[in-house]
Formats: sequence, C-alpha cells, structure tokens
Amino acid sequence: MLNIDQYAYSNQLSKIHPMEKILFAIGIMIVCLVANSVYISLVVILLMAGVITLGARISVKLFIKLLAIPVSFLLFSILAIIISITTDESTLLWYVAFGKVKVGIQSRNLLVGINLFLRSLATVSCLYFLALTTPAVEIINIFKKLKLPQIFIELMMLMYRLLFILLETANQIRLSQLSRLGYTSFRNSLFSLSKLIARLFIKAYYRARELVIALEARGYDGEIRVLVREHQLSKRNLIAILLIEFLLIIVTIY
Amino acid sequence: MFKLKGKKSFVLLSTLFMTLLPKQAEAMHIAEGFLPIKWAGIWWAVALPFLALGIRQIKELVKEQGAGVKVLLAVTGAFVFVLSSLKLPSLTGSCSHPTGIGLGAILFGPWPMVVLGSIVLLFQAILLAHGGLTTLGANLFSMAIVGAFVAYGVYRLLKSMGAPQWLSVSLAATLGDLMTYVTTATQLAWAFPSGEGGILLSLTKFLSVFAVTQLPLAITEGLLTVLVFNLVHQYNENELRELAVISKGRE
Repeated sequence: MLNIDQYAYSNQLSKIHPMEKILFAIGIMIVCLVANSVYISLVVILLMAGVITLGARISVKLFIKLLAIPVSFLLFSILAIIISITTDESTLLWYVAFGKVKVGIQSRNLLVGINLFLRSLATVSCLYFLALTTPAVEIINIFKKLKLPQIFIELMMLMYRLLFILLETANQIRLSQLSRLGYTSFRNSLFSLSKLIARLFIKAYYRARELVIALEARGYDGEIRVLVREHQLSKRNLIAILLIEFLLIIVTIY
Repeated sequence: MFKLKGKKSFVLLSTLFMTLLPKQAEAMHIAEGFLPIKWAGIWWAVALPFLALGIRQIKELVKEQGAGVKVLLAVTGAFVFVLSSLKLPSLTGSCSHPTGIGLGAILFGPWPMVVLGSIVLLFQAILLAHGGLTTLGANLFSMAIVGAFVAYGVYRLLKSMGAPQWLSVSLAATLGDLMTYVTTATQLAWAFPSGEGGILLSLTKFLSVFAVTQLPLAITEGLLTVLVFNLVHQYNENELRELAVISKGRE
C-alpha cells in the first residue's frame, strides 16, 4: 500500500533537487486550475504520464492504478452536479420521468462535469508526479527551508518515522486475526477491528515512551538532527520547468 | 432524445447505481483539483488560523511538559494515519476508515488534532494518493476542525449531562463523522451551485449521493469507537491517566 514511498526513493528522477520537482508539480497544478480547460487538462495528463513513466521509469500499470483511486469520489460528486431535477424537459439531453418531475442530464452540465473530471485527473497526475519522485523526507526538508514552524516540521518527521512501525504492527495483528477467522462476518470484523485498534493504541503508546527514553539517552533536547541527501539545483532544469509552465500559460490565454 | 418511464426506469437506474458503487469506497476526501481555485484558497484561509492556534497550544504544552510530549503527539498522529488506512467493515462493502479523529479528539481534545490532522492529510496525499494539496484546506476544515470539535463538544456535553460513557463516546464519534460529511457536501455545494435551485438544491444532491456510503459508515464508526474506548479503559486505565497530560494542557 505504501509502495508510493518506495518508488519515491528508487525512481530515476530521485536525484533531482526536490525544489525543482515541487515547482514543476505545483506550478502546473495551479496553471491547470486557473486555465480550467479540457485541452490544458488533457495536455497536462499526457505530459505527467510521460514524465512519470518515461522520465521516472515508473510502470504504466501503477500510474493507471493510482489514477483510479479518486475516480469513485469523482463519479459520485459529478453525478450530483450533472443531474438536474426539473419539470421542464426541453433543456434536458436525457431524462427519466417520475410523473411531472423529470430527473435528467442537461448538456451544459454534462460539459461542466467532463471538464471537472479531466481537471481533477490532471492535477491528480501532478500530485502523483511529486509523490512518486520525491521522498516525503525531502518534501519536509523543503518545508524547513520555507521556514514553517519548527514544531510542525518536527512532528512531521517523527510521524513519518513512526507510521511505518505502526502500520507494520497493524498488519501483523490483522494477519493473525484473519488466520483465526476474525473477519468472517460483519459482527466479527467489528469486534476484531476494535481489538486491533485498542492494542495498536497501547503499543503505540509504549513505542513512544521507549522512543523518548532512547532519545533522551542520546541527549535529546527537543531537536532531531539528521543528515540530508544533498542536491544540486540545476539551472537547465529550472529553465525547462519555467518554459513548460510559460508555454501552458500562453496556450491558456489563446 | 429518448426517455424511460415508470417502474422499469427506476429499476434500471438503481441497478446502474449499485454497479457503479465502488466496492471499496474512500472516505470523503475532496479529490485534488476538484475545487475551483477560488474555493481552494478560501478554505485554506479558513483552516490556517485554526492550524496556527493549534500549533501555539502544542508549543505551550511542550514548554510545560518537556520534549517527550512531542513524541507522544507524533505517535498519536501516526496512529490516526494508520487508522485511516485500515479497512472498516461496512454494510455496503468495505470502506476505508474516515478519520479516527473522533477517538483522538475525545482522548486529547480538539486542538492537537487540528495540527496532527493536517499532517495526516498531507501524508495521505503524498503516500496514499488520497485527497490532495490544493484541496487540503477544505479537507482539513471538514475532517480535523469540524470533525474534532463536534466529536469533542458532543462528548463533553453528554458527559456533563450525566450520560453513560458508551452513549457519549458513540454519539460523539458518529456525530463527528456525520458533520464531516455534511461539511464536505456543503463545501461542494457552495463551489458548484445548481443553476435553478441554487446552493440548497445542489446541497441536497450532494448529501443524497454520498449518503449511501457515509451514513452506514458513521454508525459503524460510532460502534467501533465505543468498543475501542471500552477495551482501552478496561485494560489500560493507567496509561490513559498518563496520557491525560496532553488534554490537560489544552485547557
């Protein structure tokens, strides 16, 4: 489930400065949102698909699987947007009549829905580019450089380190529950899951206490200093990123 | 143009709807890029003051209790993240856990949960591909701010009225979840009002579309939180008392 994190370390673009990747992803994301056009969205989806699969060498299958994650949310909310309830059927492209009331789809709303769907997928691909090529720790380090509150950065660092341990513990408990038929019915699943969460909570608590002891034994005074992978900002990449974003803006205007 | 009439169309539509229903629905994270840039900005602006206040609370807590509290808070945050990635049994197929924010808010108070919730949402976006960065403000508001404060408020209110523990906990978690769902629907309705019916009509549409997954989920969440709360209370009274330092600092 967390293999996104593995790819973030092992992909072909992992050596590139995280700031460049953030500029690239967030910049295009914002252009995409402001442009709000089907064409720009399509271009961005293709561009990101290209960079992710050819540039970062991540499999097409994984990229498509990831793109499917927000689809259920999108379908539901777009359904709510495109369905109109009215008594006048003249504007409806297609409808079902319930007596006098007609429930149907207006062509205008359908276009809004399609645009929204593509815009969302386009910005989601930008997010995936960032997530798949940049390890969380490097993103947190950029936050540090942007002078976000120190306590916030620290909590992030600690949480990132701890969540893998907890996830592993949760999976182990779940596996042993599964092997004892713990999830065979709705009732069983509810009880098993509650036990899992309660145990996890206590285990997490003891983890934290042990961690505090271990840290204090090593002179913890409220700050954890770790070595960060050094990256070189490349002027060539920066120019290329700005150029692509500039081009997209120009296309938007015309 | 073609039209369908009467019962047949209803059956057809509902079967279509049921097949479209995802087998594994996601909690109600507004997807990246779904909100227009104006609304994404507005919700960021609304959420930021809460976040700033939450950070200040945590800073004071650290000053009072020492650096160890930070680790405790971080573990709580990681715990909420892991909860959100567990699959929750639901009557309409399995469903990912909405927030776990309810439990956290009852145990630690709402303010730390705002800060932890923002980090959880960020990690969900970059590690699990749930939610998004531009919509993080909106999601933060509906889940960590509304969800946490409602759960905490309901719990406190019922406790002060002398309601039994199980009732306070389950109602707090259920209502926290429900209000998150209503808030998200409102955020969507505001951003996408219907042409003729305006915001109210589109709110009704969003509420009914998501009710299928969210209503059973809220009830399950309530049940589950009570079970967890009881187990922890039964076997780990001492640890809970020690943990109370986090919620004490908030007052």
